[in-house]
Amino acid sequence: MSSWLDYTINGLIVGNVYALVAVGLALIFGVSRLINFAQGSIYLVGAYIGWVAVVQLHTPLPLTIIVVAVAAAIVGLIIERFGLRPLQNSVRIAPLLATIGISFVLDQLVMLTFSPNPRALPSQLPDVRFQLGGGTIGPLDLLIAGVGLTSALLLFVFLRYSKLGWAVRAASQDRDAAMQMGVDVNRVNQAVFGIAAALGGVSGMLVGMYYNQIDTAMSLQATLKGVVAEVVGGAGNVPGAVIGSLLLGLVESYGVAVFGTSYRNLFAFLLLVVVLVLRPNGLFASARQAPPEPLTGTFIAPSRPVRIPRWALAVAAGGFAVLPLFPVSFYVLQTLINAWLLGMLALSLTLVAGTIGQVSLGHAALLAIGAYTSALLSLTFSVPAGLAIIGGGLMSAALGTALISPSFRLRGHYVSIATLAIGEIVSLVILNWEGVTRGPIGISGIPPLSLFGYDLISPTSIYWFSFAVMVVLALLQGRLLTSHLGRSFRAIRDDDVAARAYGLSLNRYKSLAFIFGGFAAGVSGGIAAHLYSYINHETFNTQQSILALTVVILGGLGNVVGAIVGSVALVGLPEVFRIAAEYRILIYGIVLLLLVRFRPQGLLGTI
Amino acid sequence: MTNASEALLALTAVNTFYGQAQVHFDLSISVARGHIVCLLGGNASGKSTTMKIILGLVKPRSGEVTFDSASLLGLSTPQIVRRGIASVPEARRLFADMSVRENILMGAFVRNDRDVVAQDLDRMLTLFPKLGQRLSQRAGSLSGGEQQMVAMARALMSRPRMIVMDEPTMGLSPLYVDRVLELIRTINQEGVSVFMVEQNASLALEIAHEAYVLQTGKIVLSGPARALKDDPRIRDAYLGGSEAA
Ligand SMILES: Nc1ncnc2c1ncn2[C@@H]1O[C@H](COP(=O)(O)OP(=O)(O)O)[C@@H](O)[C@H]1O
Ligand SMILES: [Mg+2]
Repeated sequence: MSSWLDYTINGLIVGNVYALVAVGLALIFGVSRLINFAQGSIYLVGAYIGWVAVVQLHTPLPLTIIVVAVAAAIVGLIIERFGLRPLQNSVRIAPLLATIGISFVLDQLVMLTFSPNPRALPSQLPDVRFQLGGGTIGPLDLLIAGVGLTSALLLFVFLRYSKLGWAVRAASQDRDAAMQMGVDVNRVNQAVFGIAAALGGVSGMLVGMYYNQIDTAMSLQATLKGVVAEVVGGAGNVPGAVIGSLLLGLVESYGVAVFGTSYRNLFAFLLLVVVLVLRPNGLFASARQAPPEPLTGTFIAPSRPVRIPRWALAVAAGGFAVLPLFPVSFYVLQTLINAWLLGMLALSLTLVAGTIGQVSLGHAALLAIGAYTSALLSLTFSVPAGLAIIGGGLMSAALGTALISPSFRLRGHYVSIATLAIGEIVSLVILNWEGVTRGPIGISGIPPLSLFGYDLISPTSIYWFSFAVMVVLALLQGRLLTSHLGRSFRAIRDDDVAARAYGLSLNRYKSLAFIFGGFAAGVSGGIAAHLYSYINHETFNTQQSILALTVVILGGLGNVVGAIVGSVALVGLPEVFRIAAEYRILIYGIVLLLLVRFRPQGLLGTI
Repeated sequence: MTNASEALLALTAVNTFYGQAQVHFDLSISVARGHIVCLLGGNASGKSTTMKIILGLVKPRSGEVTFDSASLLGLSTPQIVRRGIASVPEARRLFADMSVRENILMGAFVRNDRDVVAQDLDRMLTLFPKLGQRLSQRAGSLSGGEQQMVAMARALMSRPRMIVMDEPTMGLSPLYVDRVLELIRTINQEGVSVFMVEQNASLALEIAHEAYVLQTGKIVLSGPARALKDDPRIRDAYLGGSEAA
């Protein structure tokens, strides 16, 4: 057992690393009111550039740091110029989605270039430790602290004494007023993206050296940690981001000291949710300060949905229903079963993100809740699979809504962060709650699907079952949208202030949307559990949440038919074109980027 | 009215929309070199949008905007500012977390002559003596009247040929209202043309050379301020637009 001082030192060092990420996020948020989800990818890129420099080019440490900073800054500038600047006049969600797409593309490019296997990133520093009070400290700790302090100092000098720095500060306080002073906001954006990327890249390299290991999973973790630190410190607040990061580092380090390593992230996300719920402006903002987030409203691209006649829908549904009667291959059926399962998740997300405007980034958690519930019901209590799946749906509806309800007063990007964090928390609870979920081992031997005592084992019966469930859910949702309730949902999305003024209770309607959406997603997860027969805490991950979001945007936010069309397209097209599995995520990322840029209303239009 | 050739700023047949909603209907306004021109109108008549059109923050669907005989359409806001137009925005819009000194110096952002900028800062302190003791304070902590002084000093720091002001007296105590109007006149006498938007007609007409009355996006009355001051129609026209006069 190391001393408390060791844990404190470790917390501060890790906090320093987070700070390098979070400060960049804060700068970008300050100027553009954008949470840059690609920040972790730049960190990842920084780590791999560091690896190339150290291992292949044998650069000395100071040069390595410069190479990484410059290369990462260039990546940041490219992202700003080609990914985000064209979206300046788009709907407010567009840049956020673009950064998600960019992050998928960058992560996959790194993975394809360097393989997903972890690599060692030696620090080139002597492996000695000095006594410090009751703890010890090594040269790498000092390096990280030194880089952190130097960066803070440089940033301070830049913001305080350079003309561009003044422009950054002015633009982050009042963008329009800054423009009226002659500030070119594009240059300011370039500056903050360049700086954020340089700091993020160096941070990734330092972390790689600290653990002497880099791998592609670092990216999402870094984004999440940076976002936590930034929000804790107050979005857009640069000194706040530093303090938030150090706090996060310490909370994690002490948490690990008391409870063990697997709890590290749980503490981070719990801290985030608590801060979001109690002090959405961060710990240091004055209470009266308005949240730095414009209202909803223009958040979703308005458009005229494509009208598809009823008979055409009926013909299409009939066609898919009789498909197994024809000699189609097992492979085609398998692909379509996946599409129907994803379709249920997309129905859920299109309701929550599209119809009521709560853009969830943690929707896979609802799958996980449904899957675990259904699996455990049938394994532990011998509940028949058909009933167990309904149980999974109900549990997802109840638990999902209960978990998200404290965040109902949040809006816009904050909803996305909160749902992302809740999604991570669900996965971490599954990992750690071994008594119930069997922890990291996962659940195996889940009985196959069955209905009224008959096992559904043949691909044809599974196909019909999942297709029928999806169609029923879609019909219900279609009815919901044309009802009074559906109109209230859309009123809340379009203008929650006005909706409240008309006497609509936002919490009640948001709950109803999450209950309905939670049920659909839970059922999908339940079916999946019985199909796969084995699940663990990683079966339903953030990638699936983002895939579902891409499907929903492809189909048109809020659009029921669109959700299904989108699922068939995104699951089916890679099969049709025989795209290898490792390129698929890359394709999804590119699809998301193209959609956001050229057709934000999706194929069938938003409703 | 001023004829177009001597106009420093001219809006001609401008039509502006926010989505489907039309805000300006064939709006034409001109500001002669060296004059103070005032745009009067009730709430939501489209005054602030006129300022935004001039500054390039909103683009008109049709019409022309010229400054010094060159079109401003197609220029970005920073480019327009560099042509010599400074602004005192609605509700002042100071950089609240920056100091008063930094706010004033932000006004000189487009200039590169550091030494002269320092002299100009001193000049602002003689023009706005109260700001002298406030220089290192956060701008957000000042009173409304003091903030208005900072906003005006900030606008002057770019050495503009023209200043556009959106309701410079709004929310100020009567003492400050007089002071602000007096300062506008002083600024103007130093050769800066002024285009200001106001709801308070009687005050604005005291210092303006010409005035226009805007009602739901249309100019319903215009002419020399002296003439409009006694015009019975101004009350009718103006009050027709809104109850807030
Ligand atoms: N950004 C905007 N989007 C949509 N409508 C706007 C916007 N800004 C102003 N409006 C509308 O345009 C009209 C004119 O507004 P404005 O120019 O601010 O009027 P004034 O300054 O005279 O009060 C008002 O009806 C206002 O609601
Ligand atoms: Mg106005």
